[in-house]
Amino acid sequence: MTSAGDLGDFRTSYLGEVEELLAAANAQLLAIDASLRKGESNVRAVRELFRALHTIKGLSAMVGVEPVVAITHRMESALRATDRANGRLPLPAIDVLLRGVRMVEQHVSAYADDGAPPVTPPGLLDALDALEPGAAPTAVTNEVALDLEPAVAKALAAFELDELARGVREGRRAVRVDFAPSSERAAAGLTITTVREQVGGLGEIVKVVPLSVPATATAPGGIAFALLLLTAASDEALARAAGVGVEAVRPLAAARAPAPEAPAVVDLLEPDPHEQDVHRRGAMRVDVGRLDEAMESLAALIVSRARLGRELAALTARGVDVRDLALALQDDSRRIRDLRSSILRIRMVPVAEALERLRLVVRGLRRASGKLVRLDLDAGQVECDKAVADRVFPAVVHLVRNAVDHAIEAPAERRQRGKPEEASVRVACVARSNTQLELTVSDDGRGVDRERVARRASRPVPEGDAALLHLLCLAGLSTRAEASTTSGRGMGMDIVRRIVVEELGGELLLRTERGAGTTFTLRVPLTLAVVEAFAFECAEQRFLVPLATVDEIVEVDPGRVAYGPSPRSAGARGLVGVMERRGSAIPVVDLDAALGFGARRSPALRALVVRRDGDVIAFAVDRMLGQHEVVVRPLTDPLLKVTGVAGAADLGDGRPTLVLDLVALRVRLGLGPAGSRGVR
Amino acid sequence: MAEILVVDDSKVMREMLVACLRRVPGAAFTQAASGLEAIERLSLKHFDLVLLDLNMPDIGGIEVVEFVRAQDKLRALPVVIVTTRGDDGSRARALQAGATRFVTKPFTPEAILAEVTGLLGASGAPR
Amino acid sequence: MSELHVVFRVASTEYVIPASEVLRMESYEGATPVPGAPPYLAGVVQVRGRFVPVVDLRARFGLPPAPLSIDSRIVVGQSGDRPVALLVDSAREVLHLSPEQLRPPPPMVVEQCAGYVSAVARVGERFVMLIDFRKVIGEEQRDEG
Repeated sequence: MTSAGDLGDFRTSYLGEVEELLAAANAQLLAIDASLRKGESNVRAVRELFRALHTIKGLSAMVGVEPVVAITHRMESALRATDRANGRLPLPAIDVLLRGVRMVEQHVSAYADDGAPPVTPPGLLDALDALEPGAAPTAVTNEVALDLEPAVAKALAAFELDELARGVREGRRAVRVDFAPSSERAAAGLTITTVREQVGGLGEIVKVVPLSVPATATAPGGIAFALLLLTAASDEALARAAGVGVEAVRPLAAARAPAPEAPAVVDLLEPDPHEQDVHRRGAMRVDVGRLDEAMESLAALIVSRARLGRELAALTARGVDVRDLALALQDDSRRIRDLRSSILRIRMVPVAEALERLRLVVRGLRRASGKLVRLDLDAGQVECDKAVADRVFPAVVHLVRNAVDHAIEAPAERRQRGKPEEASVRVACVARSNTQLELTVSDDGRGVDRERVARRASRPVPEGDAALLHLLCLAGLSTRAEASTTSGRGMGMDIVRRIVVEELGGELLLRTERGAGTTFTLRVPLTLAVVEAFAFECAEQRFLVPLATVDEIVEVDPGRVAYGPSPRSAGARGLVGVMERRGSAIPVVDLDAALGFGARRSPALRALVVRRDGDVIAFAVDRMLGQHEVVVRPLTDPLLKVTGVAGAADLGDGRPTLVLDLVALRVRLGLGPAGSRGVR
Repeated sequence: MAEILVVDDSKVMREMLVACLRRVPGAAFTQAASGLEAIERLSLKHFDLVLLDLNMPDIGGIEVVEFVRAQDKLRALPVVIVTTRGDDGSRARALQAGATRFVTKPFTPEAILAEVTGLLGASGAPR
Repeated sequence: MSELHVVFRVASTEYVIPASEVLRMESYEGATPVPGAPPYLAGVVQVRGRFVPVVDLRARFGLPPAPLSIDSRIVVGQSGDRPVALLVDSAREVLHLSPEQLRPPPPMVVEQCAGYVSAVARVGERFVMLIDFRKVIGEEQRDEG
């Protein structure tokens, strides 16, 4: 069969790629499920699922994991039939396919650990063999005329034509962008791959068709690619993204206003179609890209307002009477705030809708683990920014998986402990304030085993839940000897922490009780784009820190900060001192020293108090400069990715002002919960 | 020099193929991760042989073969389809579209090496 | 087929970079320092609405710092979709270089300059050195098919 000599080296890359493909397969199954629930078919997702499984099958055959070949082959056959039947899968089939994916995961992890391969239940193979496509949904009459030349039309599948037509009915433009590759363009970084990425960022690419064209100076290869897409972007923006002239962008059909009598697919699966009707009446779909554009214009407006404010201050300093100007500016500021909140409201999505997807996850977990689990969702009417929802959802999924996998006991054990056999996992969401969302994931399982976590991390047993959470979030820690099949080896608590704390600037909390259950609390901002921030000066440089991360600003009395012995920093004062705050001693750190700017010349008089996971720390700064509404942009270049710096903002002077993440900075200094314990 | 284009959306698969073919005398490898990228590379540079996966995002191997065969300068290019056991239907369609040969996964390094050196010798290509 | 290059000076040496890799050149009035970044990073500046890191070529080349002057420039280049600015002592001219003019640098030069120079060219009476932009900004050679 395969030659171990040459191909054995590929084991690690095989495992890496298969893991990605399995994640993709799960995601496509969820997408298919969501479409089915709306009464639509999703040919694209079925094809992508097929492709992922097919690649897993081929790779597994190469490295000799035969049971995976057997399972994926059967799944593939079922999907091929489905594809012919227009992408329609009966809902129960999703369950069977999810079981198939789990079984593949188990085989792959056994291969990874050199363990004994699990036995594929014959019932699963039979169930996969028995899968049959459901009835195709009635074809929607395609009343949208698309202007396609025969060579292009021929290359499109029926579902792709449908997608184009549907997009046009929903109010987007169907556009064709032509790109001819050449060596010069490739050298300048313009290839079909990059063009596709760039253009794909401005809309939804339905298909890219290669075409033979006469070889000319502009198309030396004698080929061109026609990118067919649905978009809200302008011709100019598309041409720029593709690196072509605007004449290479042509409409396929004009966008239409969404017709109220657009052929609605009757939906028998939704619990209450009437409720949906009420909800949707008078609503319209908006392309997220358009909202981003509006948001960007707003950001520019906020920046120029800040500049006006500075000019005004300069005039005042020169003794000019600016009262009328100041009033006008105040008015202007209020209007900008109103505009901002209107735009933000448009970006809001109901959290309940996003959480609904968890039902499918739990259904799959129930099957895979054999545990009895009920999922209670309670998100009420809470809404949050789409960007936040998209980021936080994977963290919630992980916590739910962990709960079912590690926390919930088997039914027999639960009975023995006097608990109801059916366990409960509850995901709730409330708006904590106008700016913050609180998500909780709780279970009534066995609670986190502190001793075990400590043993695995080779650390002392943590006191208190905050210290326990800190341990759990150490990179790569898993409390199980082998990664479980459902949680996989992919995302650990460290990733959950990164999403919540670093990416979203939020807070992660844990409460757990042996035998009774565990609750994770995620506090994240409702929106990402514009934040309120304090500006302050430190080491003659201006910095920003988000308001939401600062507990309070306190005055520092230099005479009352005590520094203990610090044998490790010989000759210099230690980095951490102690000051009093409302009757308790808290650590205080000179921020300029913490940032590596060297010793400070005059004592600090103000400090920013930051609290996380119940720990409090004060960062001493030179002076506060006031409060601003800023647009924080992440610094993505590798040269600028530094722990403690969350991004930068333009305060109106055209220069970047760094936005600090004091919590991350604390970790960089080794002042995490474990490090600060001695100060309490 | 024998210029070989290896087309597969799976990076592992591309690397396996290149590892198997290292011993082809004077071979130089170019990799493409999608059907579109393959067509682009073929239009801009001369290749002596293509190894082609069938299942890829954007456009699949069969569409690539069809397109290649419609180009005058690529009509004689040897195209080896790398397929997986059990893909009989797609194999027939690829043959119709103009594929030259098939290699079935799992394959041994020796088998694919023999196939490729045979084709390169037959076309007298190495320039 | 000669290609246009941007010429800039760091200390007493003239360097070139293909104009196709250069997005723009701007005068330099200082950058925002980023604590914790590599020592050769002068800081971050805003160029056309984007925050761009500035690599101080004097620091990168192990040369002593020089005071900023009205000649100081940043040359903003692009690697992939990553714009990075190079801080140089001056940048004034562009010139055409043909492939024949560009010669591999002598081995001892290669060794000394840590691979930052990929070719040298003689232009009239003087020598200019072609910069490997990706190496200078610390980007690993990517696996390109």
